[in-house]
Amino acid sequence: MNDKKYASMSKRRAIGNAISYVLLILISIIWLFPFFGLIMQSFRSYSSEYGGMVNYIIPKKFSLDNYRFLLSGETNYLIWYKNTVIIAIIVAILQTIIVLCVSYALSRMRFKGRELLMRFWLILGMFPGFLTMICLYFLLKQFGLTQAGAVPGLILVYVASSGMGYYVCTGYFDTIPKALDEAARIDGATRARIFFEMIIPMSKPIIIYTALVAFMAPWCDYIFASYVAFGNDKSYNVAVAMTRWVWTNDYQGYFTRFCAGGILVAIPVTILFMALQKYYVEGVTGGAVKG
Amino acid sequence: MAANTEKQSTNAFAAVGRDIAEIGTTFVRGDWKTKLSYLIFGFGPLMRGQIFKGLGYLILELLFIWYMIGFGGKYLSKFSTLGTVATQKVGRKTVYGDNSFMILLFGILTIIIIAAIILVWRMNIRENLREETALKEGKALASNKKFLASLLDENFDKTLLTLPCLGIFVFTVLPIIFMICVAFTNYDANHQSPTNLFTWVGLENFRNLFSFGSTGFAGTFLTVLSWTLIWAFFATFIDYFLGLAVAMLINKKGIKFKKLWRTILVLTIAVPQFVSLLYIMKMFASDGIVNAYLMKWGWITSPIPFWTDPTLAKITIIVVNIWVGIPYLMLIATGLLMNIPEDLYESARIDGANPFQMFWSITLPYMLFVTGPFLLTQFTNNLNNFNVIYLLTQGRPQSMKLTGNAGYTDLLVTWLYKMTVTDTNYKMAAVIGIMVFLVTAVVSLVVYNMLPSVKDEEGFQ
Amino acid sequence: MKKKVLSVLMAGVMTSALLIGCGSSTPAAPAEEAPAEEAAAEEAPAEEAPAEEAAVEAPEINADATGEIKVWVADNVVEFTNQRVADFMEANPEFSGFTVTVEPVGEGDAASNMITDVEAGADIFAFAQDQIARLVSAGALEEVAPQNAEAVKAENDPGSVAAATVGDTLYAYPLTSDNGYFLYYDKSVVTDPSDLDKILADCEAAGKNFYMEINSGWYQTAFFFGTGCTLEYETDNEGNFTAANVDYASDKGLVAMKEIIKLASSPAFQNGSAAGEATNLAAIVDGTWDSGTVKELFGDNFACAKLPSFVGDDGNTYQLSGFGGFKLLGVKPQTDEDKLNACDALAAYLAGEETQIMRYETVGWGPSNLNAQQSEAVKADEALSALAEQLAFTIPQGQYPGDYWSLATGLGDDVIQGNLTADSSDEDIMKALQTFQDTCISYAK
Repeated sequence: MNDKKYASMSKRRAIGNAISYVLLILISIIWLFPFFGLIMQSFRSYSSEYGGMVNYIIPKKFSLDNYRFLLSGETNYLIWYKNTVIIAIIVAILQTIIVLCVSYALSRMRFKGRELLMRFWLILGMFPGFLTMICLYFLLKQFGLTQAGAVPGLILVYVASSGMGYYVCTGYFDTIPKALDEAARIDGATRARIFFEMIIPMSKPIIIYTALVAFMAPWCDYIFASYVAFGNDKSYNVAVAMTRWVWTNDYQGYFTRFCAGGILVAIPVTILFMALQKYYVEGVTGGAVKG
Repeated sequence: MAANTEKQSTNAFAAVGRDIAEIGTTFVRGDWKTKLSYLIFGFGPLMRGQIFKGLGYLILELLFIWYMIGFGGKYLSKFSTLGTVATQKVGRKTVYGDNSFMILLFGILTIIIIAAIILVWRMNIRENLREETALKEGKALASNKKFLASLLDENFDKTLLTLPCLGIFVFTVLPIIFMICVAFTNYDANHQSPTNLFTWVGLENFRNLFSFGSTGFAGTFLTVLSWTLIWAFFATFIDYFLGLAVAMLINKKGIKFKKLWRTILVLTIAVPQFVSLLYIMKMFASDGIVNAYLMKWGWITSPIPFWTDPTLAKITIIVVNIWVGIPYLMLIATGLLMNIPEDLYESARIDGANPFQMFWSITLPYMLFVTGPFLLTQFTNNLNNFNVIYLLTQGRPQSMKLTGNAGYTDLLVTWLYKMTVTDTNYKMAAVIGIMVFLVTAVVSLVVYNMLPSVKDEEGFQ
Repeated sequence: MKKKVLSVLMAGVMTSALLIGCGSSTPAAPAEEAPAEEAAAEEAPAEEAPAEEAAVEAPEINADATGEIKVWVADNVVEFTNQRVADFMEANPEFSGFTVTVEPVGEGDAASNMITDVEAGADIFAFAQDQIARLVSAGALEEVAPQNAEAVKAENDPGSVAAATVGDTLYAYPLTSDNGYFLYYDKSVVTDPSDLDKILADCEAAGKNFYMEINSGWYQTAFFFGTGCTLEYETDNEGNFTAANVDYASDKGLVAMKEIIKLASSPAFQNGSAAGEATNLAAIVDGTWDSGTVKELFGDNFACAKLPSFVGDDGNTYQLSGFGGFKLLGVKPQTDEDKLNACDALAAYLAGEETQIMRYETVGWGPSNLNAQQSEAVKADEALSALAEQLAFTIPQGQYPGDYWSLATGLGDDVIQGNLTADSSDEDIMKALQTFQDTCISYAK
C-alpha cells in the first residue's frame, strides 16, 4: 500500500520533471536563437552571397569574409575596438576606486550632511541622463575632450558621476561588522588604515562586481559616445561605429559585417562575464535585497 | 500644519539672525588678526600658525578674485539677456557675436561660485572665532601635522568624498541646473549658438507643452506619458513573475544541469545589448528572418508588421523585453529562494498544501516583502529604459496625430533624445526632461511610502 | 561640522571653476572679445566689399597661410576624396600650408552634426539638399564665393542650382544630380514596368515583393505630385520659411492618397527603399546609389525604368512623379579669410567637372555638371538613363522644414499601420489630408 503510494508519487514527480525539462529546453532554444542567428549570419559569405537581409539562416557557403573585412584595416574596426577596450579598462579601475571611497565614507563614517548628501544624490538620479548631453558636450569641448579627444573625454564623464552608484557597495560594507572597526581603532589604527588594510581586503567580491559592471557599460554606449566623438571616425567606439551599419542607409549590405563585429565584441565580454558570474550574482542579489 | 511651517520659518529666520549677529560680534570683539581676516581670508589662522587652513582660505579668495576678473564677471554681466551682440560678416569673414550658450553656462557657474565664496567667508570667520576662543581659554591649537593627519583619520570622509563630489558637481549638478534654465529660454534650431542668440522666454515652453492643437505638445505628451507608464508597469511585473517562475523551475528538486540552464539565460546579460537587440530588431523586421520563415512555411501570406503597427510594436517590445529581463530576475530570485527556510514548506506540506498554495502563501509574500524596494527601482529604471526601446523601434511608428517627431513606442526619454539630437529642439527637450524627473519623483515617493518592508525596516533597525 | 562638509564641496566648486576657467580661456576668448570692437573697426572694409564683388575678382591668395581643413563625405567616397584632395594640392601649391583630413560622415548625419556644433563641424561637407534651409538658418553654410558663383550656376543643371539656392543666394556647390528615384525590376517577374497595377499583380503571382518607402516624405510625393498636387515653401535669405503652398486636401490629393492605400494593401507590398535590406525582391523604387546592389541581386534579369503610371480612383491615368534631388557640397562660415579662400577653392575643385566624371567612374554617382552628364560613360549607364527619363516628370526638390519629413512619415505610418485603409471613407481620408495640409502650413511663419 505504502509502496504503491510511493510509486505513484515518484511517477508523478517523474512526469513533473519531464514537463520541466521540456519547458527548460524550449526556453533555452528561445534564448539561444538570436545568438545562433547572429553567429550564422556572421559566417555568411560576403562575396558569393549577400551582406544584407536574406530569408534563410544557415549560410549557403561558410566563409570568413566578414571577419577578414573587419580585421584587414579596410575600416577602423581595430581602432574602435582598441578605444573601447581602453575606455572600459580605465573606467573599470577608476570607477571602482571612487565607488569604494564613497561607499566607505557613507557606510562607516557619520558626519553631518551625510543624510543630506545621500538624499541629494538620490534626487539627482531622477533626472534623465540624456537631458544634459548637450551641456556635457560643450563642457568637454572646453577641455578639448571632444572629437579627437573623445576617448579621455568619455572616460572623464563616466568616472565623474560614478560616486552616485554607491548603493550596492555601501550595502556590502554595512554587512561587515562594525565591531571589527572599533577593535582596530582601539588598537590605534586610523580610519585610512582600516579602509586600506581591513575593509578593502575583505571586499573582493564587491570590488570585482563593481569593476565588472563598470567594464561592461562602455561597450554598449552608442548614444553619448556618438555625440562626443561625432565627425571623428578614429575616436568612435565599437557601438557607435557599428550601429551606423544597421541604421544608416550609406552602409547597405553591412548587416553580416555587423554580425561578425558583434560576435567579436561579445566573445571577450561574455567570457569575462561568465568567469566572474559568481560575483555578479552576489552583487546583484545583495543590491536587490537592499533596494 | 500651517503653524508648524511658520515655526520652522521663524526658526530659519532666527538662525540667520543669530548668524549675522555672530558675524558682527566676532568682528567687534575679535583681535586685529580676526578683523583683517574679514578682508583677507585666512589671515587669522595664518598668523596663529595654522598654515594649511590659512593658506587654504587665502588661495580660495585669490582664485575667486582671479576668476571673477578674468572670466566670470564678463559672463555674469550678460546673464540677464544671454548676450546682445549678433554675429556678423566682415567682408567674407564671419565674426561671431555673443555665445548665449556659454553665457548661460558660465553665468550659472559664476552665481554658484559667488554663493560658495560667501560660505567660505563665513567659515573663515567662524574659524577665527574658534581659534580665538580656544586661545583665550588657554588651549593650544592643533598642530599643522595633526591637521594633516586628521585627513586620514577623523576627517577621512572629506578626503574620500572631495573628488567624487567635485566630479558630480561639474558633470551632473551643473549640467542639470543648466538644462533646467534652458527650459525657460528659446534655445532651439532657430536660436543656435554661436550664430544666433537665444534669450529668456519665461514659461512659454511649458505653455506649449500643455497646449492642444496641431503644433501644441499636450496631446502627444499625454500619449507618450501613458505609454511610458504602461510600459514600465508591464516590463517590471511580467519580467518579475516570469523570472521568479523560471528560477523556481531551474531550482526544482531533481532537475539536473542547473548550471547549464542558468548559463544559457545569463548569456543575455553578458552580450552587449546593442549587438543582441539590434539583431532581434532585424529578426522581426518585415523583411526579417521570422517573417521570412513564417511565409516560407505558408503560415502567413504577408509579413506581420511587428514594428510598424503601433499595438503590435508595443506588444513585441514587451515580449522582447522578457527575453532581456528574465535572466536578471532569475539570478536574483535564485539567491533569494534559497533563503526561504525549508521548514516553512515542510510544515505546509504536512498541512496538505499543494505546490500552488505553497507558492501563493509562502514564496510570493516572502519575495514581495524582500524585493519591494528593488521592484520600485526596477520600475523607475524601466520608465527610463532607453536601450530596449531605441534599439528596437527608435520610437516608431510615427503618426500625424503626434507632434514633435514622437512615435507610438516612444518613452519620454527616447522622445527627449530625439528632440536633442534630431531636432535640436533643446528648449522642449529640457521641458520633457523636467517632466521625466517629476514623474519619477512622484512615483518613487508614493510607492516608497507604501512599501511594507520600508515601514518594517525602520522598526528592524 | 556641517559647514566643514560644505567647505569640502566649496573647495570642489572653486577648483572646478579654476579648471573650466583655464580650459576655456584660450578657445573662448577670441569669440567673446572679437565682436564689439573688431566689428566696429572693420566696418569700413565691409562697405567696400560690394565694389569688389561686382568685379568678381579672385581674392588675393596668401600663400603663407596655414591651417587644417576638415572634410566630411560619405564612407564609400572617402578614399576617392582623399585622392582628389592630393591632386588638388599638387595643382595648387599656394594652398600647401593647409592640411586636409577627410572623415566619413554620411550626408544624413552631416547636417545634424553641423547644427549641433558648428565650430567643431567640418569645413567642407557633403549633404542632401533637403537639409540646406536648416543649415543656413543654423549658420552652418557660407555663401559660395562670388568668383565661383557664376561658373557654378552656368556649369550645373538648373535643378541642382535651384536646390543649392536659398532665397536668392547660392549657398552650396552641386555635387550630384542623381538624388532621385525610379524603378528597378526583375525582368523575369515583372512583364510590364509601365503600369503599377500590373507590376503588383506580377509580384503577387510570383510571391515576391515590391518595395517603396511610402512613409518617407521623399518617396510619397511620387503620388501627390503625380496627380498634380503642390507642396512647396518659400524661404527668405536666412533660411526661414515664410509661406507654404500646399493643396493635398483636394480631389487630386484624395486620388493620390487612395492609390497609396491601395498599394499598401497589396500582399506584395513592402515599405522600404534600401535594396540592401530587401528580401525576396522583384521590384523596388530606389535611386542610383543602389544600382550595384540591385544588379547583384537580379543578375541577368536586372532592368530599370522610369516610374510606372497608375489608373486612379477617378478613372484617369497618372504618371508617378516625385522629387528630383541633389547632393551638395557646402563650406562652413570661417573666421579666417585665408582659410575660407582655401576651402572655396577646394570645394569648387571637388565639385568640378573633372572630379564629377571621376566620381561617377569610381562609385557611380550621377554628375550634376552639364558637361559631365554628356560624357559617354554616363550616357551609357542604364540606371542613370532611367533616372534621366524619370527626371522629366519630377519636380526639383525645394526647401522643406525638418518637421515636414516627420509629418510625412506620420502620414505614411498611418497607412501602413491601418489607421487609413481601403475601407476608410473619403471623408476620413480627406480629414487626414486636411490635417496634413494645415500642419504643413503651420510650419511657415
